Amino acid sequence: MANLNVDSAKQRTYDAIIIGSGMSGGWAAKEFTEKGLNTLMLERGRDVKHNINYPTTNMYPWEFEHRGEVPYDIQQANPVISRCYAFKEDAMHFFVKDTEHPYIQDKPFDWIRGYQVGGKSLMWARQTQRWSEYDFEGPARDGFAVDWPIRYKDIAPWYSYVEKFAGISGNKDGLDNLPDGEFLPAFPLNSVENYFSKFVSSNYPGRNVISARCAHLSVPQPIHIQQGRVQCQKRVLCQRGCPFGGYFSANSTVIPWALKTGKLTLRPYSVVQEVIYDDKKGKATGVRVMDAQTKQVIEYYAKVIFVNAAAINTNLVLLNSKSQRFPNGLGNDSGVLGKYVAFHNYSARISAEYDGDMEWTTDGRNPAGGGYMPRFRNVKKQETGFLRGYAAGFSAHRGMDTDSSGVGKGLKDNLANPTLSNWKVGSHMMAETIPKETNTLTLDTSKKDDWGVPLLKFNIAYDDNDAKMKQDYFEQMTEMFTKAGFKNIQTNDSKQAPGLDIHEMGGARMGNDPKTSMLNKWNQMHACNNVFVTDGACMTSTSTQNPSLTYMALTARAVDYAVSEMKKGNIA
Amino acid sequence: MDRRTVIKNLALVIGGAALLPSCLHDSGKASIALKKIKVSADQEKFLADVAETIIPKTDTPGAKDLHLHLFVLKMVDDCFSKKDQDAFMAGLDKLSKEAESRFSKPFGQCSQAQRESLLNELDHKQMAFQKAQYAQGKKSKREVPADDMLAFYGITKGETVFGYTYSKYFMTKQIVYELVPGRYNSYFPVKNLKANIKHG
Repeated sequence: MANLNVDSAKQRTYDAIIIGSGMSGGWAAKEFTEKGLNTLMLERGRDVKHNINYPTTNMYPWEFEHRGEVPYDIQQANPVISRCYAFKEDAMHFFVKDTEHPYIQDKPFDWIRGYQVGGKSLMWARQTQRWSEYDFEGPARDGFAVDWPIRYKDIAPWYSYVEKFAGISGNKDGLDNLPDGEFLPAFPLNSVENYFSKFVSSNYPGRNVISARCAHLSVPQPIHIQQGRVQCQKRVLCQRGCPFGGYFSANSTVIPWALKTGKLTLRPYSVVQEVIYDDKKGKATGVRVMDAQTKQVIEYYAKVIFVNAAAINTNLVLLNSKSQRFPNGLGNDSGVLGKYVAFHNYSARISAEYDGDMEWTTDGRNPAGGGYMPRFRNVKKQETGFLRGYAAGFSAHRGMDTDSSGVGKGLKDNLANPTLSNWKVGSHMMAETIPKETNTLTLDTSKKDDWGVPLLKFNIAYDDNDAKMKQDYFEQMTEMFTKAGFKNIQTNDSKQAPGLDIHEMGGARMGNDPKTSMLNKWNQMHACNNVFVTDGACMTSTSTQNPSLTYMALTARAVDYAVSEMKKGNIA
Repeated sequence: MDRRTVIKNLALVIGGAALLPSCLHDSGKASIALKKIKVSADQEKFLADVAETIIPKTDTPGAKDLHLHLFVLKMVDDCFSKKDQDAFMAGLDKLSKEAESRFSKPFGQCSQAQRESLLNELDHKQMAFQKAQYAQGKKSKREVPADDMLAFYGITKGETVFGYTYSKYFMTKQIVYELVPGRYNSYFPVKNLKANIKHG
């Protein structure tokens, strides 16, 4: 920007720039600022301050104009976001509407986005499981993607580090396919969840149903009180933002922590168009931003840049960062940028009923949601006709049966006197998908959005392995449900498009070889050592675990490395 | 009275005269602002009488006390397709006429028993329709029957019950909704259940 003087450029210069303020960007902000670096965090959407910008958080059901329903016109105009389970009247202001930010679906892909400070960490499902050695070794063992450049031992201490700070509830279950962590007390299984857990482990060696591990403060520790958070109050209205800070979000936890250091500049309404690469200096020097409100284009500079825009937008930013040195996108010598995109297959569910344990029910609400069944297929060796496997949720609850037939006083009485139903049990599949070169994100060559950024084209689909795995999930769950004495078993293939799982990963994968990957074992670009990617885009494979905890750990680890490299003068 | 008002009033008189034959009972508009559906005061009154028949005032508040008919209108206006809105409006008029021809007086002047007998007929059909929908795997309460009168009844019944069970009255006095439960008991004896608290 030739028209601006040196002082102005100095004012726009930081030690570190973070693109994105969600799950991983929030952690990067905490780590950089704690280490004393002047840090700029850029967020394309508006600010959402903890406990200030949660407009619906204390609303009762009757206070919503449509009692929670999304009006018809909004649904019709926004079919993609309307398919998201959390897009309801109480939280729809935290989701991007299709009409606001269009994209091109060469194949159907439900892209679920949250453009605000905190990103999707505000509305996430809060399930947190560690990866195990069996997950990291997957691609190498089974011959797909590329070998992960890290193993469990590399990330284990960083899992511990982020778990203690975020607050993760769980039991030490002693499973080698789902390592234990630094846990607050778990939310316990109920009687039928426990019954099924015992049934499964005694009849199916290697299979387990455990209390779901989640980012809720079951019993807050001093560090959490210091963050201004208190015990989870079991509201299970988390998607509205929590006034207690009962679950981990960037808004409630890492961003306020980073701001307290005085080292963080948080700039909302900042749409990053590209990372600036200086061909002469041979490194990235900053980012070019368009202010979403004023449309002014501004450059910011830093020694190190973390790209945490959420997996798909990180691909977009990198693809759009073109220079003489990198004509096909920043760091893209290998040509793999935007390829090998993968996700989790969430398209299968099963439900049933159980007539046992009728003397028990539950009271209050379970923030963990119930039980979790770690992957049991192909864990230690290949044993099925498909690669990899699936984890599964499992939960049981007793609903209320209400006779709503008829009219008049009888109906009124019936509505006020529902009867307790038998137990309803349910499970949903969380399946690994295999990253493929043909699953791609590319830039449209002509269409741009209102902020000067090319529209993204999606070419992502399921494959035969996904179909076989889903079949196996239905068969195995049906068998276990049947043998456990559950009845009225119903399988449901939602046939949903990829994306609705909201676990998109890859496109800028880690790997040992610069010829076949974008990032090294420190999430650092092979070809541009002052740029790091620690959100979902870095994932070499997906395994089955909910990925956020792994992003947090990778981020803290990468910042630690980046700062040590800066101190050594290797990043300047 | 200025000239402009005189002309406006004159137009109203002429317009009113022209409309009178087909709209004898039309005595104004609905009492709430609606964006899409056009509802007259008489139609609103009829709807209120239907809702009151579904949830009558007893020793506890009824539909009119809780303005459930206005909630029905709000939902129809905002949360249904044009096709369903048209069916709702057509069905409303048909049912109003049906009541009048059957009992020789407006629905609102019929006895509770007369009103209930008419609605219960529709209720049986609606329940059968819902059961068939459920059997086909369609669980959305937004599935509306093809017959206008049944469509009107189905929407009104569904939204009246929805509005009732989600009303402040019901959620604080009948089955209490807790915004902040503060507890999760995973093993809770059924015998300790309180009927007036929404557990879970």
